Formats: sequence, C-alpha cells, structure tokens
Amino acid sequence: MSAESHSAAPLFALQGISKQFPGVRALDDVSFDIRAGETHMLLGENGAGKSTLMKILCGAYRPDAGAFLVSGEPVSVITPADARRLGIAVIFQEFTLVPYLDIAHNVFLGREFPGRIPGLIDRGRLYRETRRVLDTIGFDIDPRLPVHRLGVAQQQMVEIAKALSQDARILVMDEPTAALSERETERLFAMIARLKARGVAIVYISHRLAEVFALGDRITVLRDGRKVASVLAAQTTPDELVRLMVGRSIDTTYGRHFCDSPGDLALEVKGISADSGISDVSLTVRAGEIVGLAGLVGSGRSEVARAIFGADRITAGEIRMFGAPMDGSPQDSARRGMALIPENRKTQGLALARSVGDNIVLAGLRKMFRSGIFSPRRATEAAQAVIERLRIATPSPRRTVGFLSGGNQQKVVVGKWLNAGARFFIFDEPTRGIDVGAKAEIFKLIDGLAREGAAILMISSEQSEIVHVCDRAYVMRAGRIAGELARQQLTEANIVRLGMHQ
Amino acid sequence: MSQIRTAALPALARVPGVAIVLVALLVGFSLAGPRFLTPANIANILMQSTVLILLALPMTLIIMTEGLDLSMGAVLTLASIALAMTVVATGSPALGFLAGLAVGLGFGLANGALVALIGIPPFIATLGTLGIAQGLALAVTDGQSVVGIPPSIERVYSGTLFAVPIPIIIGAAAYALGHLLLYHTRFGAAVFALGGNREALRLAGASDRAMLIVVYAVGGLMAGFAALLMTARMNSAHPTAGIGLEFDAIAAVAVGGTSFERGNGWLFGTLLGVVAVGVLRNGLNLLAVPSSAQVACIGALVILALFIDALRSRP
Repeated sequence: MSAESHSAAPLFALQGISKQFPGVRALDDVSFDIRAGETHMLLGENGAGKSTLMKILCGAYRPDAGAFLVSGEPVSVITPADARRLGIAVIFQEFTLVPYLDIAHNVFLGREFPGRIPGLIDRGRLYRETRRVLDTIGFDIDPRLPVHRLGVAQQQMVEIAKALSQDARILVMDEPTAALSERETERLFAMIARLKARGVAIVYISHRLAEVFALGDRITVLRDGRKVASVLAAQTTPDELVRLMVGRSIDTTYGRHFCDSPGDLALEVKGISADSGISDVSLTVRAGEIVGLAGLVGSGRSEVARAIFGADRITAGEIRMFGAPMDGSPQDSARRGMALIPENRKTQGLALARSVGDNIVLAGLRKMFRSGIFSPRRATEAAQAVIERLRIATPSPRRTVGFLSGGNQQKVVVGKWLNAGARFFIFDEPTRGIDVGAKAEIFKLIDGLAREGAAILMISSEQSEIVHVCDRAYVMRAGRIAGELARQQLTEANIVRLGMHQ
Repeated sequence: MSQIRTAALPALARVPGVAIVLVALLVGFSLAGPRFLTPANIANILMQSTVLILLALPMTLIIMTEGLDLSMGAVLTLASIALAMTVVATGSPALGFLAGLAVGLGFGLANGALVALIGIPPFIATLGTLGIAQGLALAVTDGQSVVGIPPSIERVYSGTLFAVPIPIIIGAAAYALGHLLLYHTRFGAAVFALGGNREALRLAGASDRAMLIVVYAVGGLMAGFAALLMTARMNSAHPTAGIGLEFDAIAAVAVGGTSFERGNGWLFGTLLGVVAVGVLRNGLNLLAVPSSAQVACIGALVILALFIDALRSRP
C-alpha cells in the first residue's frame, strides 16, 4: 500500500518543531505526520533526535517552536495528560512497570476504576477490563500475576496492554524488539498488524533495518536533529537508508581481514556444565582469533560466558586459559587477563555516575598501584592513554560516563579491561542498543584487539554480525553446542539451521 | 484472604521465613516453661503487641517506598506527653487525644516534606526529627513522668468491648484498614509504585511527591494514635517510654519479609513479624532475660528470618 492512498488528512502532525537544550540543538524545524492505520518508522543514529521527538509527542518536553495539528486543527500538548487525551500512548524502552504490583494494577496504574465504596478500587472491573485488553493483543496470562515474575517479553506485552487500555489512536514504540527473541518479535509484529487493521497509527523507532522493511509503510530519517527524508518503504533500499542516517556511505559489511594463522590456544573449555542450564559445552579460542557464539536468545550463550568467567560455578568439565586450569572465580579470571564485557553495560560494566577516567582505572587498580596508595596523576595518565588508543569521544577523563553515547560507553568498558592488562575478551552482545555508525567503530575496535594478539569470544544475536566479523563460530541450542562453523561454512543460513529448535 | 492479590500471597509451597520463625518460637517457649502457653499469656502477648502493630503497619508502607522512619518511637513519646499534659491541664480526654494525634501528624508531615520536597535521605531526615522529638519530650517534662491521668484514658487499655479487650480490637481494625489501604486503593498502588518505579507513577499522572508525603504523614498519625494506647497502658506519660520502638517496628517489618528495595512489601508478613517480636519479648520476660539482652535477640531474629528467606530464594 502506498502512502498516497491514505487520502485523508493526517491523523496527527507536528510542524516545524524545534527544541534547544543547553549546548545542543536537539531538534531543528522537524515536521512529521502520522496517518491512521500506518506504521511510520523513525530512524536515526543515537543523538539524531528520535527520543526528543518522542518525548515531545507524549508531552514530557515542551518544544521551543512549532505546532501540533490534530486533523488539521492546532492543539496544545503540554502535559502527559494532554497527550493521553489526544490518544497518544508511548511505550518507552525503559519499562514503566511496578515490579510488585500485578499485571492489572500496572495496566491501569493511575486510572483505577472507583468502586461503590468511596476510596476503594472496583477490583472486579479492574481484572475484567485488563482481561479484555489482554485478549485484544492475544496475550494469555493471569492478570493477577505480579510483574516481577514475568520475563522481559511478557513485560513488553504488559507495556503494550497499558498503552492500548488508554484507547490509543497513536502508539509510539521505542525499539520494542530490543529485548525480544525471534518468536516474541513475530508475535509483536502480528499484533502490530492487527492494530493497524483497527486504524491505530504506529510510530516505531528502530535501529534494525530488517524490521524497518518488515513493518514500515513510511520511513522518516533523522540526523543531527533535522529531518533528512520521509520515504515510502516500498521505494527505498537498506543501503539508501544507511546513507541517509549517517550522511556518508559506510560499508555495512564491516570488511574485516580475517585471521589466517591464529596463535596459541588462549582458552580451552572442555565439557562444562552449570546449573544455569548449559551442559557439555566445549570450545576453544586462539590468540588473534575472533570466535562467534551464536544461537537464539535463551540458548545459553550468556550463561556460557558467565561460566567461563567464573561468575557461575561449573558442575562438570574444565576451563583452561593459556594452558593453566582456572579456579573458577571472577577474581582469578580478571587477574589472569580475562575480560567479560557484559550485555548490560549500565548495570554490570560501568559505574555510570563516575568519570571516564575512574571507570578506566577501576579494574586495574591492584596492578597499577601495588603499594596500595592511589595516585590521581598516574590514574589520569593511564586513562588518557586508553582514551587516545580507543579514540573515546569525551571532552576529558573527568567527564561522567553516563553522559557518553552508547558506543563510547562500550569503549570505556573495553578500555577498563585493556588497562587491567586483559588478553582474552568475551563480548556479550557488544552492539546492543548502538547505532549503525558506532557499530562499525565497535567492530573496528574488536578487530584491532585481535590484531594485537588478543583472543576474542563474541556473542551476538545478529547473525550478520557473526558472519561478517568472526573467524569461526559455535552455534548454541538449548544449552548445548549444536555445531561449529569454520570460516568457509559461516553463513547466516547455517547459523539459523543449527540454532533452530527441532 | 482469597481477595489478596497474588503479589501478596506467596505460594503455599514456599512458607515464608517469618512463619517458620514464629512456629519455632512458639514451640520453643512452650517447651521452656509452663507459663507461656496459657490463654492468659497469649492474650497478654496480643495486648502488648498492639502498640507495635500500629507502628509496624505504616512502617511497612514507608519501607516499601524505599524509605525509613527512625522518628516513630520518639514521636510516640512526645505525642504521649502532649496527650497527658493536655488531659491534666484541661481535664478533657478528647482534647488530649487530639493533641497526641496533632503532634504525630505534624511530625509525619515534616518527615514527608523533608524527604519528598527537599530530598533529604529518609534515614537522615527522620534521624533529625527523632532528635527533635526526643529532645522536646525531655525538655518539656524535665525528664519527669506526667501523672494524674483520669481513669477514662486508662480504660482504653484495660476495657473490653463484647468481651474483647479494646487494644486487640484497635489492632485488628488497624490491620484491616491497612490491608484495605494497601491492596484496595489508588494510594496503595501508588505505595507499590513509589518503591518500585516512581517514573511509572509520574507518567500515570499522579504526584509522586504528594503520595510520599501522605505515606510519612500516615506514619506520624499512627504514632500519635499509638501514643493513646501507650499512655493508657502505663497510666502516665514518660519521656523515655517510646525509645527503641522504631527498632522493634523496623525489625517486625523486616522479619515479615518486606524488602527494602523495589516496593516489595507484604502486610500480612508484618503482622506475623509483630507477633513474632511480641512472642520473643514475652517469652524472654518469662525466662527473666533482661531487656538489653532481648534487643540482641530481636536482632538475631531479624537475621534468622531473612537468612531462611535467602536460603530458599537460591536457585
């Protein structure tokens, strides 16, 4: 269906929206419209202005200039309540759920139905209405379950139910599939199709080009706070979108020079099992090699990483690094040069409120200051060296890490381990939540580490990343290694074939 | 009970630590001496627990918001003194009762404002008001007890209604109200959200600050109400009467399985925790254990209950 065939006026339009923050022009004269029953994809690198635009849409920010039009008429959206009245509902990337309230109370939080007794909630109606909303999205679950017992995908569904319970006409989703498995993603897409059929307009923010084409009717690309283009999905190509997003043509295949002659055995894992659900896992990584660990979400990849690092105890098998057996504690692993760069940098890899410099020296404190006395000057020098080596974009080592972009935060985590003298790196989903331009940077960084002789184990859910970056790969299925793919056999089709449940 | 939302009702297979601890205490003290397991003593335990339940219920809500109220014992003391002095001065028990409530509410609102509006960490804010309330209590009484309270006040503790002691009725009513408030009102949902996800509450259009102030105000008000029971029980007001009560209240909440994080609270657990603390104190009294050693035992009780929970929550 082409966009022109929606002959009616846009359901909702933003005109000439500008928003200035101290030192940053977040949005500059952006116009954007949404039509009933369409999926409008919003694409752009981190910092392009997507989040700001979304927050303006839902009334969390006030624009400095510009107008809102509903069916051609100007309206004012000043508070979240205004936006809700207009039928705009937003599903944020960070969940807005209360863990120890049940599903029903979460869905109707702040909008509970008054009961017959003044002050009390009509709980019968609360559960009935929740059941009704859950049914419309085909989510078969007990509305009395507390949210903390749900998995990420189920929580996502609760967020969606919450948005829909407001009778939203416009549903804004910020990277809704970031935490979903493939099957859950399919369910979400099916639900989006149903909503569209009911005339709900969807604004969908995504980094994943495949999704953009699978879902989008129209695509708007933002760059540096400006709208670069609005195009019909049917009339564009992935390469064109990437070019629009980054403003230059980048090689999406990361064109890496593969390692032909790997060095000594860095890591040797023999038949390990752990209570986390992995069993009889064996793999090797050599110096200078990038080895992929592929498989579906939940197949046990992160659990293998944790077991290797010593974060989870192994119940069988053996792990050797540079020939010597490990004693299975994270302290031992770190001391002997192993680095785990976790999936969730914010909670596991970084002290967000501390400076770039503090974070970089954190893991190497013992090595750098053997006397036990801290020297700020030496710490700053060490941090500065790492910043230059990894080209971390920060005005100074004293900058708080939380203010850096996702890609640069990732570099700080790597820098922390480099400074500690790591020679074997495990990357768990290194590009999660990172935009296209920064992805290439991250891969260059990983490649650089391998060239300098580091051994690398890389976990990724994106098969194309494994194929384009890794020298060889293991594919996991249900807690076991389903197979190993050498360079020549390493294709997306082979990964999918090995990783799929029978 | 069937109406409790699932969040509040742990699976029967996982008996909470507080229940195990409580049963162990009951069995242990019954075996230790003949005077423990008598109807009169059980009634006594419940009577003595009523002041604590009045404090522990709002303390549960406060802790669920990831907060704390250290001032409850001192505020209760000051409210008790305000009550007694007013009654002695005016001869009106009603005025005295209102004076106690006013002191409690005032301190509760002050705690709430300091925490919610100014952003002082609850530990520090309520430590400050603890000092103020305790200091005022000592200053206005010159360290002496306030006596001469009319028997009408005393009857609040010793009287019965339909053969049930009034304090037990008050305790039961307070628990029932607390349950309604937490599980059946918007305010209750907001309490879960204050600790669990404050941003969610804001985006839902509710004022998180106002809600937080109300939570602390309820705590102060309940301390003012508990002052009535305390004064009635002792038939006087003493400027050190409430010292350490906040310790018992926080212990009861912790023993009851309410976590200090993410709005994970369980009101029925608090009730069991209060009874466990009451049983422990009573049993130790019967065994003639000095009250200083009792405090140590309550500390051990908290650790034991949480230890059992931690053991079980391991995969």
